[in-house]
Amino acid sequence: MAREVLLPKLGLTMQEGTIVEWVARPGDTVREGDVLLRMATDKVDVDVEAEGSGVFRPVAVEGATVPAGARIAWLLAEGEPVPGQVEAPPGAPAGEAPPAAEDVGELSLAAPAAASGSTRLRASPNARRIARVHGVDLHAVAGTGPGGRIVSEDVEELLARPAAPAPRASEPGRVVSPLVRREAASSGVDVSRLVGSGAGGRVRRADLAAAAPPPATAGVIPLTGMRGAIARAMHSSLQEMAQLTHGYEAEVGGLVRLREQLKAEWAGQRVPSINDFVVRAAALALREHPLLNATVRDDAVHLLTDVHVGVAVAVPDGLVVPVVRDAADTPLPALSAETSALAAAAREGRLSSRQLEGATFVVTSLGHYGVDFFTPVVNPGNVAILGVGRVKDGVRWEDETPVRTSVLTLSLSFDHRAVDGAPAADFLRTVSGLLATPLRLLAGP
Amino acid sequence: MTTTVVPPGAAGTGVRELTYVKAFNEGLLQCMREDSDIVVMGEDVAGYGGVFHMFDGVLGEFGPMRAVDTPIAEMGLMGMGVGAAARGLRPVVDIMFMDFLAVCLDQLVNQAAKMKFMFGGSVRVPLTITTASGAGLGAAAQHSQSLEAWLAHVPGLKVAMPSSAYDAKGLMVSALRDDNPVVVMLNKLLLGAKGEVPEGLYDVPLGRAATLRTGTDATVVALGRMAVEAAAAAEELAAEGIEVEVVDPRTVQPLDTETIVESVSRTNRVLVVHEAVTFGGIGAEIAAQVQDLAFDHLDAPVARLGAPFTPVPFSPSLEKAYVPDRARIADGVRGLLARG
Amino acid sequence: MGSATVTSEHTSAGERLDPQVVLDLHRRMVRIRVFETEAGRLAEQAELPGFLHLYVGQEAVAAGAMSCLRDDDQITSTHRGHGHAVAKGAQFRPMYAELFGRVDGYCSGRGGSMHINDLSIGMLGANGIVGAGIPIAVGAAFASKYKGEDTVAVPFFGDGASNIGAFHEAANLAAVLRLPVVFVCENNGYAEFTPQAGHMLLEDVADRAAAYGMPGEVCDGMDALAVRETVQRAVDRARAGDGPSLVEAKTYRYYDHQGVKGLRKPYRTQEEIDAWKARDAIELIEARAAAAGVVSEEQFERVWAETRADAADAIEFARASPLPDPADIAQDVYTVMQAPQ
Repeated sequence: MAREVLLPKLGLTMQEGTIVEWVARPGDTVREGDVLLRMATDKVDVDVEAEGSGVFRPVAVEGATVPAGARIAWLLAEGEPVPGQVEAPPGAPAGEAPPAAEDVGELSLAAPAAASGSTRLRASPNARRIARVHGVDLHAVAGTGPGGRIVSEDVEELLARPAAPAPRASEPGRVVSPLVRREAASSGVDVSRLVGSGAGGRVRRADLAAAAPPPATAGVIPLTGMRGAIARAMHSSLQEMAQLTHGYEAEVGGLVRLREQLKAEWAGQRVPSINDFVVRAAALALREHPLLNATVRDDAVHLLTDVHVGVAVAVPDGLVVPVVRDAADTPLPALSAETSALAAAAREGRLSSRQLEGATFVVTSLGHYGVDFFTPVVNPGNVAILGVGRVKDGVRWEDETPVRTSVLTLSLSFDHRAVDGAPAADFLRTVSGLLATPLRLLAGP
Repeated sequence: MTTTVVPPGAAGTGVRELTYVKAFNEGLLQCMREDSDIVVMGEDVAGYGGVFHMFDGVLGEFGPMRAVDTPIAEMGLMGMGVGAAARGLRPVVDIMFMDFLAVCLDQLVNQAAKMKFMFGGSVRVPLTITTASGAGLGAAAQHSQSLEAWLAHVPGLKVAMPSSAYDAKGLMVSALRDDNPVVVMLNKLLLGAKGEVPEGLYDVPLGRAATLRTGTDATVVALGRMAVEAAAAAEELAAEGIEVEVVDPRTVQPLDTETIVESVSRTNRVLVVHEAVTFGGIGAEIAAQVQDLAFDHLDAPVARLGAPFTPVPFSPSLEKAYVPDRARIADGVRGLLARG
Repeated sequence: MGSATVTSEHTSAGERLDPQVVLDLHRRMVRIRVFETEAGRLAEQAELPGFLHLYVGQEAVAAGAMSCLRDDDQITSTHRGHGHAVAKGAQFRPMYAELFGRVDGYCSGRGGSMHINDLSIGMLGANGIVGAGIPIAVGAAFASKYKGEDTVAVPFFGDGASNIGAFHEAANLAAVLRLPVVFVCENNGYAEFTPQAGHMLLEDVADRAAAYGMPGEVCDGMDALAVRETVQRAVDRARAGDGPSLVEAKTYRYYDHQGVKGLRKPYRTQEEIDAWKARDAIELIEARAAAAGVVSEEQFERVWAETRADAADAIEFARASPLPDPADIAQDVYTVMQAPQ
């Protein structure tokens, strides 16, 4: 009985995975629990085990990146042919994985970019009308509306730009494809100077490439692996969400003093970091403000039951976000121990996929880098992320007397589709209030 | 950029501040003096003057034949209004709370609204239905609804939703003078709201919207009391440099689509606000009309703000969350204008 | 039996009958019978769109009651309304034209069988909603009283409608406001297909009058003279300003609830139908008049012939009348007010 092997989906946000290596060989008889392949996701590399027994027949090639849930192999009975395939494809000797491109046809091996986004130009009807009236090619307009939609102001601003005349959609006697126009606009090439080599003088991409010498490069970092995952996640986050950021100054004089005290009193024991206090405060505040602990799916905001706080950790080639599960129910010392262990595991590249999945909210800190305010990008699947800035000297006024204290800036980015400005500010006020009374954070779960 | 809508007519008469309910009452009394066919019938409208003082002074001035207390029998009462109207009177039938319309919908929807049409035009039904609508008083699910969308869906009915003392009088006068069944929805929270009202008799035409405030960045179309909230939100937004145009349709049937579309064609963004539930509300109709008639002028999808799809809740915390207010209207406009 | 009293005694040969009254009642009944029989035939020939609720069998009620009313008295009717319209004086031509859905119909083709009305003769409309005409008649009576007229309003309704809230609210309103209303319940024994015993426990709908402090009387609804006599008492009382009354006429419809013949299993026995037909209202009045020697058979025959000719002419007229123009579909939804200045 033929059994499909599907690319496993590890967690909610996993879109695709890469077959790094087939561990099992075609034709091997495997048993349940045997490792079939090593798979790379945007978060972690994992071994995928067989969920049954049979003769192993892969239908995808090593190195292929395929959508989660796609069929990548079969486990067959002895002598059983691959279902739907009468005979091996030409040039594919029995027992070897056929080339992916001529595969059984179930797999979409298309580039992730094409799979993830429609190529339809997003522009408001009013923007289209104004563009039509003024002959503006919307492909040359950068959209600033929600989700990157081109709105009329974008067109009007382009038209108002004094130096560069608006690109014309049509120039007599000259045929330029919209694609070439878009690319020309983004690389700053004047289309009217291009020599068309296509039929009837049509300007083709090749003409543009010839006209625009590539800028000198000092090195190339491919957007693959972790870099690619970050690129896709951040880009899709900004494309899908209506993000904005609130800055909020929290007074942490008491917190700084408490930590000094603890360092003295808890000799040898790890004192929770400022960041740990913020994680704890955020987790408790999320209980009070469930709207920030949510996900937007199917045109609805789904409030989530669990509070799992992701903590961004910089690693040499990028960034990972291990997760403190049930953070609101974890006492601060345990939470602190956990963030410390997670950070160590992250730097050593031994985080499990479970440790990387399921964050309902993220805390990220640039305080150590001297940054006060910044605009963190919301993790796909969440509605908010809290940025922690540098602790610095501040002043509190007690009546007419200035009192020296410490402050840090909280930067909350949130998805305006789900959360409005006022509730976001309320959340920040709660976090700030908790940080101002740090003993409450230290006490109890 | 605030503009005041200067009332036409009533020239040479003084203008003073009156409450919304007093203005309504004044319009009714003035019309009753002009037209002896107008009679008021309903529960506690005569001796008690109506539970909201809407009919104060009617019994005293016009006597028991023109101020008729009826049993608690909305179906019979509404039917009596229909029959009397078909026989040439101009009855005012008061249904104490709009929710109670559900008790007599047959007479309103199947009889009053359709009679002229199904009789081949041989009859007129000059019937005015007055009723108190709206949430915000902790009156819970059966005394708080705004059911204008139900009524506006019925060919043959007209529906007015005054948002000011001036409109309460002027729209009531138009309703009394109209030869069709007109439902005048007074808003309970606005009954005590004061506004400038001319002393003389004037009307506010049915089917003509009021532009309460002009603006360039977005249009807010708001019904009934939401028009008041929208105007307040517009002031708040002006402080942020956002200029909102506020359009109060004043009647939802007929609906002044022209004014709404003209406004949206200039501002390119529109938020429709009503306190009825969003689903299937008048906002859906306005959204459809706008996309139909002003599609090429839109920079954002037509946004709607209404109540969640639940009955009106009782507890103050729930009711506050239920009814849109100026803050949520302002947030809605900010959302419409979000860029970058 | 509450306040209800029965007024139905059989008359014997030699009774004193007024020939003018007999002829008037007879003519009203024959006009109904012929109109409805022809309508039923047209429906069976599939010439008429829509529903058709025929009045055949109940003619004595409409004829008897209407003979007590003036043109300026108001009636409201039911889904089974042709009989009331004809007896009140409606013309065959616009009635048939309406059944055909033509522009010359009473409703210009907008209403059909269930909305025939003629305000010029006080016919405030048939009604597709059971019981809905009752409060409307109360409103008409209010207008009469308000205007100081001595006109009365008569809502007709069935035994089934006496269960609906609108009846009870309207009866109480009319009583408490002392309005000139004569509630006429035509008890034909069935609420659509449900026999009376299945929809109410009272034997007489007239007993319900007691609940509203008004008189209630039962009469023989197959005897036009008896109906006339009973309704006249109630009309006199209403005109005198003494308030409303309820008259119940026991009657029977020969045809099905809708159309002529029932399509489904019979809910009435043939014996029951035959027993009522044996007391046919038209045959009864013809026989009594003959026995009393006040109207000749030839006079009755002339009425039948004239009426048949009238119906044949009206049907031809209706067939020739144009259908409404779809371009006029929105006509008369509203009374058009002068455009606001």
